[in-house]
Amino acid sequence: MTYTPTTDTEHRSELDEPVQLLTPSGQRRRDPRLDEWADDLDLATLRGLYRDMTLARRVDAEGVALQRQGQLGLWAPAQGQEAIQVASARACRADDFLFPSYREHGVLLVRGAAPADLVLSWRGEVASTYDPAALNVAPPQIIIGAQTLHAVGYAMGIQRDGADQVAVAYFGDGATSQGDVNEAMVFAASFSSPVVFVCSNNHWAISEPVTVQAAHPIADRAPGFGIPSMRVDGNDAIACTAAMRWALDHARGGGGPVFLEAVTYRMGPHTTSDDPTRYRSSDEVDLWRARDPLTRLEALLRAEGAFDDAFRADVDADALSFTTQMRSAAIDAVSAAPLSVLDHVYAEPHTGLEEQRHRFSAYLDGFDGDEGSAR
Amino acid sequence: MIAEFRLPDLGEGLPEAEIVHWHVAPGDAVELNQTIAEVETAKAIVDLPSPFAGVVREVRHSAGDVVAVGEFLISFEVAGAADATAPDATAPDASAPDPHAAAAGQSRTAAPAEVSAAPSADDDVQTPNLVGYGAAPRTSARPQRRTRGGRPAAGADTAVLAAAPHDAVAPSAPEQARHERPRSTPPVRKLAKDLGVDLALVAASGAHGVITRADVEAHALRAVDGASAGIAAPAPTESTPSRETRIPIRGVRKATAAAMVRSAFTAPHVTTFVTVDVTETMRLIEALRADRRLEGHRIGVLAVVAKAVCLALSRHPELNSHWDEQAGEIVRFGYVNLGIAAATERGLVVPNIKDADALDLVALSDALGDLARVAREGRAGLDQLSGGTFSITNFGVFGVDAGTPILNPGEAGILGLGAVRRQPWEHEGAIALREVMTLSLSFDHRLADGEQGSRFLREVADVLREPGRAMLLR
Amino acid sequence: MTSIATGKASLTMGKALGAGLRRAMADDERVLVMGEDIGKLGGVFRITDGLLDEFGTARVIDTPLAESGIVGTAVGLALRGFRPVVEIQFDGFVYPAFDQIVCQVAKLHYRTRGRVRMPITIRIPWAGGVGAAEHHSESPEAYFVHTAGLRVVAVSNPQDAYTMLRQAIASDDPVVFFEPKRLYHSKGAVDLDAHIADAAPMGLARVMREGTDVTLLTYGAQVTTAMDAATAAEDEGLSLEVIDLRSLSPVDYRTVAASVRKTGRVIVTHEAAREAGVAAELIASITEQCFHYLEAPPLRVTGHDIPYPPAKLEKHHLPDLDRILDAVDRVLGRPNSFPEVTP
Repeated sequence: MTYTPTTDTEHRSELDEPVQLLTPSGQRRRDPRLDEWADDLDLATLRGLYRDMTLARRVDAEGVALQRQGQLGLWAPAQGQEAIQVASARACRADDFLFPSYREHGVLLVRGAAPADLVLSWRGEVASTYDPAALNVAPPQIIIGAQTLHAVGYAMGIQRDGADQVAVAYFGDGATSQGDVNEAMVFAASFSSPVVFVCSNNHWAISEPVTVQAAHPIADRAPGFGIPSMRVDGNDAIACTAAMRWALDHARGGGGPVFLEAVTYRMGPHTTSDDPTRYRSSDEVDLWRARDPLTRLEALLRAEGAFDDAFRADVDADALSFTTQMRSAAIDAVSAAPLSVLDHVYAEPHTGLEEQRHRFSAYLDGFDGDEGSAR
Repeated sequence: MIAEFRLPDLGEGLPEAEIVHWHVAPGDAVELNQTIAEVETAKAIVDLPSPFAGVVREVRHSAGDVVAVGEFLISFEVAGAADATAPDATAPDASAPDPHAAAAGQSRTAAPAEVSAAPSADDDVQTPNLVGYGAAPRTSARPQRRTRGGRPAAGADTAVLAAAPHDAVAPSAPEQARHERPRSTPPVRKLAKDLGVDLALVAASGAHGVITRADVEAHALRAVDGASAGIAAPAPTESTPSRETRIPIRGVRKATAAAMVRSAFTAPHVTTFVTVDVTETMRLIEALRADRRLEGHRIGVLAVVAKAVCLALSRHPELNSHWDEQAGEIVRFGYVNLGIAAATERGLVVPNIKDADALDLVALSDALGDLARVAREGRAGLDQLSGGTFSITNFGVFGVDAGTPILNPGEAGILGLGAVRRQPWEHEGAIALREVMTLSLSFDHRLADGEQGSRFLREVADVLREPGRAMLLR
Repeated sequence: MTSIATGKASLTMGKALGAGLRRAMADDERVLVMGEDIGKLGGVFRITDGLLDEFGTARVIDTPLAESGIVGTAVGLALRGFRPVVEIQFDGFVYPAFDQIVCQVAKLHYRTRGRVRMPITIRIPWAGGVGAAEHHSESPEAYFVHTAGLRVVAVSNPQDAYTMLRQAIASDDPVVFFEPKRLYHSKGAVDLDAHIADAAPMGLARVMREGTDVTLLTYGAQVTTAMDAATAAEDEGLSLEVIDLRSLSPVDYRTVAASVRKTGRVIVTHEAAREAGVAAELIASITEQCFHYLEAPPLRVTGHDIPYPPAKLEKHHLPDLDRILDAVDRVLGRPNSFPEVTP
């Protein structure tokens, strides 16, 4: 079976056909690969998905706005990727441990991140915000793909504890080129570790299209490592939920690692510093706008009579409350004192650093005013 | 309340943006995050979402204008408890006339200003209101350091300061093509500083022109007078090993010894003595001390002798001269730099008073007092320790009458003062108890002969016997 | 089932390291060892010999051939609450893991403000003098000393190997642990009962030999060379003080400065290349702290600024006894081979 690489995102071969259970226009579909994992999803679950996806979308828009208003130094928009992020995170158990990249805002929200957690690192006040042990989520990772090894190591730890948690690694299509991601798959397969690899193929790594990273569908690599794999429609919250449940069940039951490729699209720029008009066409963006994850789910819920004005208003109010808190957390943030930059480099006292702290403190004391004396 | 929005850094360190299109105008009602403008940066075309909900009040810049980051763009009339929290708006004559505080009271900027530079109402200073870290805009103001005033942990670093002034390159010496700091080692530099020695003037004996410790010590004490005559040597003890104490020869003592040896075996020393009735001088001193107008000036015997010496030297220049072997010349000084030998903790030093001959008795007395104090405290600088033309040594304070003082190297004469004793003396044809003092003058026989030396000494003695005779000298 | 050795023994450094690992694993069940060939083979230097039989595959992990993967999974294990002891098979192979070490291991404690700890020990058979093939004789310690968040130590004798390895494993900070492979087979006395809390802290330097004329600072296998140089110098009436730094981050400047203030002359010697090596840092700090006590400029005696040369030529690269004594001559002002200071 040969595969012809394309430079556009239309799927040419049935190998590419991602598993889909909800069409872009909101029709429910069946697929034998995932039906057993989707048939029991009730309306309450679907409304919950919609609520969380809406929150993710509004949080993302607020992040962009805050950056344009000078409140955040940077923001990496996740618009368009709400389904895979929210659905996969909702399928996890509270004691599973998640390893996100820097774009998984939806995952953080589902796991219980506070409004301030979403903005303070982008604002440059701190390197990371939430307590990993509180959310069971690792700090967002900037080094592309590094987190996949951490997830596998964590899963190796789960095995040694004889526990049944699962480690989940999130990464993009670009990351699959990194050595670390491939090494992670080697380790995971060799040790049969309980880890789910969730690759959000959003088609772009800044300006590089996925075809530069993969001459062959990404999902097809995993079997080469000995890891079962599925390619799923990443904008289909139902398929994503089902696929994740399947994957978690497999890993949790001792079946070893699983690989999911969620085919989605990065609607916005790579970050607020990027200008996508330089490397992709607005036609392509329009094509994917028609595949929006929220509109299709809303359509299904309306068709099922589970979406009325009251629900709309309630969802919007929840989202507005959160984003308002995000905004004030950013605007009202107080920067830490100068001397604090020397904290937490080591867990135990380090004489060289103590000496530097002592000197810097004396230096700061020499100035008048608040800035100098702030500790 | 008025809220301002200034252009933020839209993409990691971009200094400016061009307005492409305004979507709103003054008077328009605007919602939070509603797109109010499109701007183009070096990287992208960007929509600007409104940071406030309210009514547009003022818009600056039109489409096509290039706006720098931090510049005012648009202001809004927003709802808010401004009146309650804007003290400056209602009380403009309140304490601090700080323009920034006033502005903050009346309006609220869209983002808290990063306090990197002192806020100023000056239009040239573009205070960024961004929080993202891009390049800070350059101000047209002169770069300034922050004022320090708090409690410094340490004072000036004496270690570094110690190096600098004493390594000063000698200002003259035109044949010196390169201006290099003198070579030495850190401990020797510190020694030089302590001794008040300028390394630039020290001859180096170490390899590759490195000034050694010994070089510095020798140089520092070039002018030291070895007035060892006034100090009795300790009686030699029996030299059984168990009863010996060994003291290393170093530092001031070493340098002093070297100077003495040089002096003693270069200039042919002749010493001549005179014993004189100084009762009148003592009476003069008493009277001067009682004079209320001279309160605070301690005029003593030494001052009177110093004055007499200066006066006499003007008539006996051969005793105020220098034998310059190298140049083959005798240098006659037109001034008197009068050295006074002083015993200090570190040894003998001979600081001198410059142009002592130009000072009147009171000034001379004060200068002597200062000199004594400086020498005692070990603070005599090189300048004071060098350039002397004639010296006085007062061994009388140790209770002896006469001695054969060794010349301060390079000088023609040194006058030793003995103790002032009350003893029987011939006075107006009868024997009376008078105050009597012996003067011992050593001089360099190359520069002055016996007659010249004696006449000089006689003149000094005459002034001490009858202070009024000073008027005959000058 | 565990056979923890006790008492005093004469052990090679390799055996001492193995004993240290065994003891650490017996003391704390969260300690794991992982690396290439360390399980069944017992490690290419046999350091981990016997550990697999004793502790099983759960705690002794033969990993795939992927240094980045080894360190990256160790990060995940540490997040799960284990104390991984990673072996990088040879110094020259640490570079693929450099990203995980510098970007993740070193920084996670700081970026999470102390919530996440990385109690990872990275053991690295290190340096040359063993006639090895290319890339098997590297001295990369400066890269790690320069990385904030890492502790770096280097052992020079079996006792320190035994004790400091246990201390490194017990530390909640990540430790890059350098083992000079050319001393793996040299023997020394080891007190196996030494309590790590009572032993000299990992961060302390040790005066190996007291002296009055020159301070000689060094670490790792070079300590042996420095001690030999001091013995040879005795014959010329010179008294050298030799200090084994043991810890490169932090450096025990208290011990170092006390020695320099006493002797006024200091030489730093290491196998690693000269430019921006550890000696440069030491001398900068010493000069700052002891400026007025220095009778001569501080000197470095190091490897040349070249890639490690072929085995037959390595002796021209490694700073030996003669090069050290040449530098001693220099600081004492005796005839030496140093070119004159150009004006």
